Amino acid sequence: MSPGFIHVEGLQVSYDGDRLAVAGIDMDVGEGDFVAVLGPSGCGKSTLLQVLSGLLKPVAGKATIAGTDVTRNGGGADRDPRVGYVFQDHRLLPWRTVAQNIELVLAAARVPRDEWDARIERLLAMLQISQFKDSWPMRLSGGQRQRVSIARALAIDPAVVLMDEPFSTLDEVTGRLLRQQLVELWQQQRRAIVFVTHSIREAIFLADRIVILTKGPARVLETLQVPIERPRQYEDPAITELESEIVDRVMSAWGYEQDAGHVKTPPVGSS
Amino acid sequence: MESASLPTQDLGRRRRATSVLTSDVVLGALGILSFAALWWYGHQKTTFVPSFGEVLDAVPSFLTEEAIWPDIFASTTRVVGALALACVVGFLAALLMARGRFWGLVTARYVDLALGLPSTIAALLALFIFKRSEVGVFVVVAIATFPFIALTLRQGFLSANKQLDDMADVYRFRPLMRVRNVFLPHLVPYSLAAIRNEYAHAWRVVVLAELFAVNSGIGWRFAQAFDRFQLVEVALWLLTFMVVLLGSEYLILRPVEKWALRWRGDA
Repeated sequence: MSPGFIHVEGLQVSYDGDRLAVAGIDMDVGEGDFVAVLGPSGCGKSTLLQVLSGLLKPVAGKATIAGTDVTRNGGGADRDPRVGYVFQDHRLLPWRTVAQNIELVLAAARVPRDEWDARIERLLAMLQISQFKDSWPMRLSGGQRQRVSIARALAIDPAVVLMDEPFSTLDEVTGRLLRQQLVELWQQQRRAIVFVTHSIREAIFLADRIVILTKGPARVLETLQVPIERPRQYEDPAITELESEIVDRVMSAWGYEQDAGHVKTPPVGSS
Repeated sequence: MESASLPTQDLGRRRRATSVLTSDVVLGALGILSFAALWWYGHQKTTFVPSFGEVLDAVPSFLTEEAIWPDIFASTTRVVGALALACVVGFLAALLMARGRFWGLVTARYVDLALGLPSTIAALLALFIFKRSEVGVFVVVAIATFPFIALTLRQGFLSANKQLDDMADVYRFRPLMRVRNVFLPHLVPYSLAAIRNEYAHAWRVVVLAELFAVNSGIGWRFAQAFDRFQLVEVALWLLTFMVVLLGSEYLILRPVEKWALRWRGDA
C-alpha cells in the first residue's frame, strides 16, 4: 500500500458560489485500497466523487490522483490517470449494445483496437454477463445493467474506480450478489476503489477503511479501519456489532437524537 | 447469481408484438371498409362519385398509361426534396430556439408566424413571388412543414440527457464522438416523429401547390381531370395519391423507424 495515491486536502465545493456543499474533506487512499465514504443522504458524498472525476471544480483545496491534480486539469491531461466511474444509475447509452457501450470508453481512452475484444470478453465473463454482449441495455435487468456499468469502468484499466451508491436502487438479493462480486473483482485486480454509500453495513462489508462524513455540508467526522477479516459474510455478527457502534457514533453528527433507545428524527430543514 | 430472464422477456415481447400486429391489421381493415362504405354512400347519394365498378374497369388502362409515372415521380421528388429542406431549416431553427438567446427569440417568432400561415395562402404567395415554377412548390412545402419539425426537434434539444453528458465527460469522449454517440442518437426519436408527421402534411401541401403552380404532378393531373369533369380519372388520381402516401408510410417510414428505434424495449 502506498498512502496518498489519492490525496484530498481541505476540499471545499459550492454549487452556487454561496453555500458550501462540501465544507472541508481531507483523506488519503492508498493504491489498491478499498475505501468507503459513508454519510447521510445529501451530505455531499457524490460531490466528492465528482471532484475526483473532474466533473466539478472545488472552490478551495486540492485533490490529486497519482500525483496529478485532478482539480486543475479535469481528471488528468489526456486521460492519465484513468478514472472509472460507476454511477448510481447505470448511465449506459440505450442506443448502443452492451459491447458497444464498453467499446466507446475504450476508444475514448485510446486503448488499441486489437485489445478491445479480449478485454470485453474477459470482463463480461468475470461479471457473468457474457450472454448479454450484444443486448440492448433496455432489455436488461437493473442488476445486469449495473454489472455492465462496472465492466465499462474496469475496461479502461483505471487507476481508480469511483462508485456512487451503485447498488442502492437494486433489490436486496441482487445487491448482495453484486457486492460479493465486487469484492472478488477487487481482490483479483487490486485497484483503488472509492465507494460512496449511506449504508453502514454495506460500507463495513466492502471496505478496508471507512471515511465517515458529517451531514451536509460535508466534513470528515472520522476515519476508521474495518477490523474484520476477509472473506466477510453480509450477516456476520461482527458486522452487525460494528454497525451498531457506528450508528451510536454518527447519531448526533447526522442530526438525530437518541433518547432511551428511541431515535428522534431531525426537524425538516434542519440541515 | 442473478438469473437471466431473457427467455420469458422474449416470450412476452413476442406476444405483445403479435398483439400489436393483429390490432394493426384489424384497424387497417376497418379503415379500408369504412372508406369503401363512404364511397358507396357517396355514389348512392350524389352524381359526382363514380361507382367502384367504373373505377376498377379503368385501372388497367390507367396503370399502362406511360404519362402517369413521371407525374407520380415529380410529386414524390417534390415531397422528399422539400421535406429535406424543411428538415435542415427546422433543425437550425430548433437549435437556435433551444440554445440561442436573442436569435432564439427571433427565430421563435418566425416559427410562430409560419405555424399560423394557412397552406393555401402560402401557395398563393409563392405563386405571386416565384410565378409558376418548381422553386415555388419547394418554398411552400418548406414553409408549411418546417415549423412543426422545428418545434418537435426543439423538445429534443431541451430534453438532452445531462446524466449521459456527465458520463461522456468522465470517460473523456471527444467532441465528434459525443455528437455521434450521445447527442444525435438522442435526437433520432424526435426527428423520426417530426418526419413521419410532416411527411403526410408535405404530400397534402405539394398536391395543393401543384394545383396552382406547376404543370406536372399528381395535383396538376387531379386538377386537369376535375376541369374536364372526368370523375373516374379524378377518383383514380385520388386513389393513386392514397396508395403512394400509405405505401411509403408502411413500406418505408415505419420499417425505418422500427430499425432506428430497435434499442427500445418496446421496439
